[in-house]
Amino acid sequence: MTAPATNGAGGEERRELTATVLNIQRMSSEDGPGLRTTVFIKGCSLECTWCHNPEAVCAKPQLVWHAERCIGSAHCVRPCPESAITLRQVAPTSSGAGPCSEVVIDHARCTACGECLLRCPSAALEMLGKDWKPEDLFDEVMKDEEYFAGDGGGVTVSGGEPGLRAPFVDAFLARCRTRGIHTAVDTCGMCSPHALRLIATQADLVLYDLKEIDPAKHRAFTGQSNERILANLEELGRMIRDKQVGCDLWIRTPLIPGATATEENVAAIGDYIARELGDLVERWELCSFNNLAADKYRRLGQEWAYETTALLSDSELRGFEAVARRSGVNPDIVVAGGPVRIDCDDETATVE
Amino acid sequence: MSAQQQHAVCQDLKTPHGLSPRIRRLRDFYFEGLAREWNNEFSCWTTGTPWDVVFDETSYYIVPEVYAFLSTFAASTLQAAQPVELATDFWNWSLPERRAWFIREVMVNYVPKEILPGDLLAGARFNVLASRCWSKNEAAERNRAIDGAGGARAATKRFHDHGYGNAGATPGHLVPGHARALEIGWKGIHEDIESRYQGLCESDKRGSKGAQLRAMLTAATMPAQVAQGYADLCRRLAGDEPDSRRAEELWNMAGNLDRVPWEPARTFEEAVQALWINHMLVMSDENYPGPGVSFGRIDQYLYPYWQRSLADGMDREFGKEILKCLWIHCNTAYDAMIRVGGNQGITSGFGQLITLSGMGADGRDTTNDLSFAILEVIDEMSPILEPKPNVRLHRNSPDQLLDKVIDMIASSQGAPFLLNFDERSMAGLMREARVAGCEDLIHEGNVFEYAPVGCLENTMVGNDRSGTVDNNLNLLKAVELALTGGKDLTPALDPLSGQAAPLSQDGPETGEPARFSCWEEFWQAYLEQTHYIIESCVNLYEKTERLRAEYCPTPYLSCLVKGCADKGLDITQGGAELSFTTINAGTFATTVDSLLAIKYLVYDNNLIDIDGLIDALKANWQGYETLQAWAKFRAPKYGRDDAAADEMAARVMAVWTTDTWKYRTLSTRRRFRPGMLSWNYWVGDGYIMAASADGRPRGKFLSNALCPSSGADIHGPTANANSAGQALGGRATGGNGDWGDYLNALPNGASHTMTFSPSLLRNQEHRRKFKAFLRGYCRNGGTALQVNVLDADMLRDAQEHPEDYRHLLVRVTGYNAYFTSIGRELQDEIIARESHGAGS
Repeated sequence: MTAPATNGAGGEERRELTATVLNIQRMSSEDGPGLRTTVFIKGCSLECTWCHNPEAVCAKPQLVWHAERCIGSAHCVRPCPESAITLRQVAPTSSGAGPCSEVVIDHARCTACGECLLRCPSAALEMLGKDWKPEDLFDEVMKDEEYFAGDGGGVTVSGGEPGLRAPFVDAFLARCRTRGIHTAVDTCGMCSPHALRLIATQADLVLYDLKEIDPAKHRAFTGQSNERILANLEELGRMIRDKQVGCDLWIRTPLIPGATATEENVAAIGDYIARELGDLVERWELCSFNNLAADKYRRLGQEWAYETTALLSDSELRGFEAVARRSGVNPDIVVAGGPVRIDCDDETATVE
Repeated sequence: MSAQQQHAVCQDLKTPHGLSPRIRRLRDFYFEGLAREWNNEFSCWTTGTPWDVVFDETSYYIVPEVYAFLSTFAASTLQAAQPVELATDFWNWSLPERRAWFIREVMVNYVPKEILPGDLLAGARFNVLASRCWSKNEAAERNRAIDGAGGARAATKRFHDHGYGNAGATPGHLVPGHARALEIGWKGIHEDIESRYQGLCESDKRGSKGAQLRAMLTAATMPAQVAQGYADLCRRLAGDEPDSRRAEELWNMAGNLDRVPWEPARTFEEAVQALWINHMLVMSDENYPGPGVSFGRIDQYLYPYWQRSLADGMDREFGKEILKCLWIHCNTAYDAMIRVGGNQGITSGFGQLITLSGMGADGRDTTNDLSFAILEVIDEMSPILEPKPNVRLHRNSPDQLLDKVIDMIASSQGAPFLLNFDERSMAGLMREARVAGCEDLIHEGNVFEYAPVGCLENTMVGNDRSGTVDNNLNLLKAVELALTGGKDLTPALDPLSGQAAPLSQDGPETGEPARFSCWEEFWQAYLEQTHYIIESCVNLYEKTERLRAEYCPTPYLSCLVKGCADKGLDITQGGAELSFTTINAGTFATTVDSLLAIKYLVYDNNLIDIDGLIDALKANWQGYETLQAWAKFRAPKYGRDDAAADEMAARVMAVWTTDTWKYRTLSTRRRFRPGMLSWNYWVGDGYIMAASADGRPRGKFLSNALCPSSGADIHGPTANANSAGQALGGRATGGNGDWGDYLNALPNGASHTMTFSPSLLRNQEHRRKFKAFLRGYCRNGGTALQVNVLDADMLRDAQEHPEDYRHLLVRVTGYNAYFTSIGRELQDEIIARESHGAGS
């Protein structure tokens, strides 16, 4: 289901170098130092059960319908060449607001041709994913060049998994670096060693996800064992040590209740970092689970096992933070954040 | 700046802290409001003639909310007026001499003098409505010009009721030459005027120049006489004061008042005392409590006195106490109408603006210890409204200043001040110098001395009155007239009677739009109608400008503004060296988006013909919801950093600003210059103006100043800021801008408000990121920024009106989603979080 890792630049160069970009997030404050423009590339090599960006998993563009934007014109139905759009009558809401029918997209039939989008007056239909060429994407992110300089900001390529589009990322980030823009990639590590080398070479900072240390559990949570991920990380460490690449390294660990959020896992990841990477890691971010993705799954016609999962409490998050600090790493690199249960809130969801 | 914005700025301020018992007592005393034994509400003073006028309604023609009360105010204030015994030959004098004498007489001999509890500054009551000192003939002529046929009042009301906007010659809105008055004292000012008077030939002495200078000589003795009254009072109080420390303070104040403001100030205490008396008497002279009577770069011109007093042993905290007393005095301006409304007369409309920091010569930063002391004063006194602070930032602003500013924004849940951006602002003033040919007065070597007045309206200092709020024009009216060939789209309704005005051919006949074969023809019609609305505004302004010049001299203020004594002209007659008046364009984004929508719907995509669109607008979009959705959600919009849309914005900007520069007032030869300030008009006029092609129905707010339309800002703050900067002209390459690389079509500046997530300010790491934004704004953005912080109320509004908040993002590390597209329950949870987290 996920796109195969590339086997080298040769195969890619015959095609035009493009990537399907889910979103270009400007003035991002959460994906590396300073203010950044984060490019989310579609297509991921993992299928994490908790994934909060499910629209980034599939490499292909996907059509979604936003009920709250729909005015019920039904203009989208007839133009669909695949007959993938139908209307379903629903009971009117108590306030009488909103359409009295739902747009149902047959995702199996939809080829993402976009005909329906052109006819939708209220932009209730959205195509997730747009193809970009590196040079155009560069022009786009450069709109915020003046905001990058102030605090070490720049460009982050995230996903999905940027390693799946390594030649594209390489070409895009090379342009950024030539212009003196700080570059970062956010990777889950599940890509070919060659791809990782390619993107790390162009990055001033690699944000590397380490979700679960136990290979079997990792397979259960994400569909893949973590052996490749750990091997890639160790190789990246060697390259940094040998100065083959010049990037800083941050590790990110999502704390998912009932999955990765266990003291054993946090301690073991810490132990691994201390052992394998030592002082190469500048920052280890523990990111608490957030529960806001339910509607995204619904719009994609998918189920989400975590729909009713409670957030961590603040004391749980602080507990994991303490475990991480005691795990053998330099305690100063540990940063814990993200939403926690409201009764003991100290950090809020970010609304912009 | 709108009332709404002000409210948002002020509602969540933290509690005052670090106040000495003296200041706490003064502050508490102030907020007792009507319960105070003392207050500074208007007192009214008359010559005693039956035709006297003490309330000049034209001062309030830019405040449509009061149109319905103008006659009431005029009648009741006259009824309340107390007679002043006139000098025997009073009626033989010229009008400026009468008025100068009358105001001085009232302030020196009639208005009671008191010292507020524990206060370190004298000068308490200053809100007066004093006789205009008109003879019977003068009053008759002036009144005829107000309410006779073709009079100013009806013309003003018509302009407003038909959705054009408003205009009127308005007091305040300048920075008097305070630095000079402190340096040479009124003694020096008086000597200067005296020598000019003596230098006049005999016929000039007998003429209007001589009369004006004699009036100014009278006015120039007022501050010392007022100060002497307070000095005597301080001595009396000191004699009766049982607390020896307080008695010492009062003796000290008396000593200061013996010297200043007549003599040059020597110490910080003297300088602030002199500054306050000089400032408060401007408000007395104009009979106008505060709006836009601005202090300018107070941290620069008070700094030598601050340094000297510190060196002589003044305790820094005592220096701050003196400033805090000044803060309280400024707030008593609101007492003017203390019985009106539910908030002790405290509205958000006043703006005795102070300016802090900013660029100096050679691009150097001018931040000093006094800048920080004043920021501390603001921080410790908050929440308090006056004086309104504006912090000037530029590319070399020090981190220490930005850090302090951002900490204050974070702890106040929004900026307790406005931010002004020097490079873009100075570019606007350099443009003005070039276009208007006043490069001898504004140039590379002095443009950095500029200061904003009121909120953010940029002017030079001590020689400049540029009518910064006097003309407020809705550009959108030109789109409406282009759609109808010069008539109102829907009949204007009288706000009191509800009666519909008959449609008339008001603008030029630009033809039936159905006959336009292409977009360019529509654009031509828009151009012609834009000429028309600007000319209409200019003509309306003339009605009150002429009256003010002829009947409302302000000789005291004229003493403080360079040019008036040179020319022997009152400031109301164009005496200031720099004497412009400003048209502020409102509805900018609504206009640009409407033009973009017409092009998109009718000419580019054939979604409807123009008559169909006009029908939809006449129907206020009722029955045309699908078309409205196309206009609202699919047509391009300004504010997204979209080059094509922003180019339309730049075209609209070029058209109206170029037209504006073409005009001068007839009576006073003041040239018109452009700016963008929407005060609160974008709210109220939204109920007056017909539906617009951008999808807005009548009754929805118009766009505010330079801001994108509500809900149009879909690519976040950096895109919004970039569009704003582009609309002003963007940047040229190779130093070919108006100032450096910077271009700016608006010398008056442009109001720009942005709302940020509190999480962007939640810790030091994120505050550094916000600092990077401000540094980027300095390079790419507009002239001024009001920072608001998103609060729970706004999120609740987003729940109720999701169409206005489509692109509000919820962001958690590595995750983002639209607020409006997550379920109600989770929205509620986020709102609860924001409420919970506020102020932490």
